[in-house]
Amino acid sequence: MNKSAVAGVVAQGRRALHRRADPARIMEGRERRFAAALLAPAFLALMATTTFPLLFLIWTSFYRMNLSMPFMDGFAGLDNYRELLADPRFWQSLGVSLVYTASTVVLQVVIGLALAVLVHGMRRGQGLFRMVAILPVVLSPAVVGMVWRSFMLAPDFGVVDYLAVTAGLGSHNWLGDPTLALVSVIVIHTWQWTPFAFMVLLASLAALPDDIYEAARIDRASAWQSFRRITLPLLRPAIVMVIIMRTMVALTAFAAIFTVTGGGPGTATEILNLYAYRKSFTELSIGYGSALAVALLVFTLVVSGVLFALRRAK
Amino acid sequence: MSPVTPSRRSVLQAGLAAVAAPALIRSAFAQDAADLGPYKSAKIDWRQAAGESITVAVIPASYFDNLVTLAPQFEALTGVNLRFEKIPPAQIRQKSVIDLTSKAGAYSTHAADPMYYALYAANKWVEPLDGYLKDASLTDAAWFQPDDIVPAWRSANTIDGKLYGVPYDGEVTIQVYRKDLYEAKGLKAADDLQAFVSNAAALHDPNNRVWGAALRGVAGAGQNVYIYSSIFREFGGDWMKGGKLQVNGPEAEAALNWYVDLMRKYAPQAAQNWNWPDIADAFSQGTIATYIDAHSSASVVNNPEKSKVIGKVAYARWPKGPSGKRTTSIWNWGFPINAALPEKRKKATWLFIQWAACAETQARTAHKFAGPAKRSGVNRVSLWKDSDYVKLMKGFGDNFVEATLESLQQDTDVDWRPRVPQWPAIGDTVATAIQQALAGQATAKAALDEAQRRLEPMMRG
Repeated sequence: MNKSAVAGVVAQGRRALHRRADPARIMEGRERRFAAALLAPAFLALMATTTFPLLFLIWTSFYRMNLSMPFMDGFAGLDNYRELLADPRFWQSLGVSLVYTASTVVLQVVIGLALAVLVHGMRRGQGLFRMVAILPVVLSPAVVGMVWRSFMLAPDFGVVDYLAVTAGLGSHNWLGDPTLALVSVIVIHTWQWTPFAFMVLLASLAALPDDIYEAARIDRASAWQSFRRITLPLLRPAIVMVIIMRTMVALTAFAAIFTVTGGGPGTATEILNLYAYRKSFTELSIGYGSALAVALLVFTLVVSGVLFALRRAK
Repeated sequence: MSPVTPSRRSVLQAGLAAVAAPALIRSAFAQDAADLGPYKSAKIDWRQAAGESITVAVIPASYFDNLVTLAPQFEALTGVNLRFEKIPPAQIRQKSVIDLTSKAGAYSTHAADPMYYALYAANKWVEPLDGYLKDASLTDAAWFQPDDIVPAWRSANTIDGKLYGVPYDGEVTIQVYRKDLYEAKGLKAADDLQAFVSNAAALHDPNNRVWGAALRGVAGAGQNVYIYSSIFREFGGDWMKGGKLQVNGPEAEAALNWYVDLMRKYAPQAAQNWNWPDIADAFSQGTIATYIDAHSSASVVNNPEKSKVIGKVAYARWPKGPSGKRTTSIWNWGFPINAALPEKRKKATWLFIQWAACAETQARTAHKFAGPAKRSGVNRVSLWKDSDYVKLMKGFGDNFVEATLESLQQDTDVDWRPRVPQWPAIGDTVATAIQQALAGQATAKAALDEAQRRLEPMMRG
């Protein structure tokens, strides 16, 4: 044992003695244990309901587990992932997920921002408008899906179809045509969640300092200029935050599409989440379904990582 | 307040009592007086599992509602606690699979899809029932008469010679058509698929809100595949060609093209997302000239509160396909026994199954049922010959009893759908292919070839 090591051991011993002697430290230790005891139930419950299932999912994704062929079950290594990379329906559903996410997020931010700017300038009725706007957000996506499916989009009977006929566009099978169905589910998601973007942006707008706008007015900046040069840059953190949150939700959307189209017609609106669900619970191929879910998780993490990096970069 | 003046509270109490009393008396009376004699003539000890509690999952449908109403009789007979849980048909398969695979035993038995027995048996999730049927302490065969249960449904629930679920209620698919519209144009019920299309064409008049025909369009192993399978078999298709699963090929393409063509030309656009209740609703509003679906939908099109076509409905067997065959569905809701249960509860579950499937309970939930909804899918051949029951069924329209019985006896085909454990995956894949073709996302050939390509790796082993 060399000299410094010995010195270290001695110092440790002295510190231990010191600690034992110090009542404040004893109290602190007790408090920490007490805090841990208070925290433990919630922490364990959280572990049991989130972390453990997640680890179990990842573990399952390395196994061949198919309820309809139990005799073939066993460790599969990376087979599920190899199969996944070669599966055209995986790539197709990933593509649908991307289109769905990108278009709903862009639409939500653009419409939400426009509404926020409009309402911000309103002197009266702002409260009422806010209350009406928030209604879709508090509805369950499954209920929204059912309402749109049966009440709005049904050919011959639905409100949207009636409006289309009245406008001279003719009757369409909104959920029966592959392209129209995808447009429909995008519109439904946008309809439900734009108020969220609107509320966040309106709150940020209200918090912007008036003096800058006053200065702009004195400099005779046009409305467009002050929007472009002042409002947008100042709102940027809020906008980016909205984009990140809405992207993560859109990537993992499920209930509304499930009730409106079930991924159909055919596979036209089958987002990755829905494909993983169908593989796992309809086809009962749990192992491969888990691999799909893990792929979705990785994809969501990467996309949000990129977005967070962009947020920090500027 | 003087003592003679009745207070508001006492008046309310008296009023409530007066209103509630007859109801209470009636229900108490019904429970006490329910005649258990027909059950007690069975030479088994009905009370051998007394004190057990069982939970039965069923779908919300009138034929199960009637059974639920009779639950107090079962409890009085056996001393077994009986609880029902209603699960919509779209979820009952998944919920029961999750219960069975976790071996939790939440459902002692459930209304099972006959296509799932191969899967259940491969995993040993449910008990083979031949042991229960042979055990004289559990079953009085002379009283229960298992052979009286519709043979096609029993064979649908049999895997490798062993019965896994006892049919409770079942159906066949038949042609349902508007007698008045057909007569006005001098048409007859279609004898082959070609005539079915020409009938539809003759009556198709969407400007006056009458569409020629409708078939199930919504995707699902129990939805569009349910109808497509019959067409596929009628075109000469064979699911297991040479022992190997085949969903594509010329017969499949011809069948799918026929279906897509009919739906595109003569069905309302929305039918692409319709299941049978939607079709029956539209038909009962007078907007559809004919459809092919379950005979049990007759109760919807004859509902006096909603239907506008009562007295104008007639029935016929499936039209023949190019192969010269008629192929109907052999669907039934049966009850299996969950293998994860303790022994005594298995016995209690078997007593329940025997009670629900016996001729007496079948009659009490059908023509002898007090409520308005009568069952049209009783599981007993003998009941289909019972004059009271037949009289009730004849009320549904011309040729109803004949078409149903002949279909049941002559048009069933045990290979109507491939009975293998992989069925859930096969059904879902084929359902997607059918819808892709119907929506124009792919041609029939491309959609079916893609389905075949996806299914091949699933059939290893």
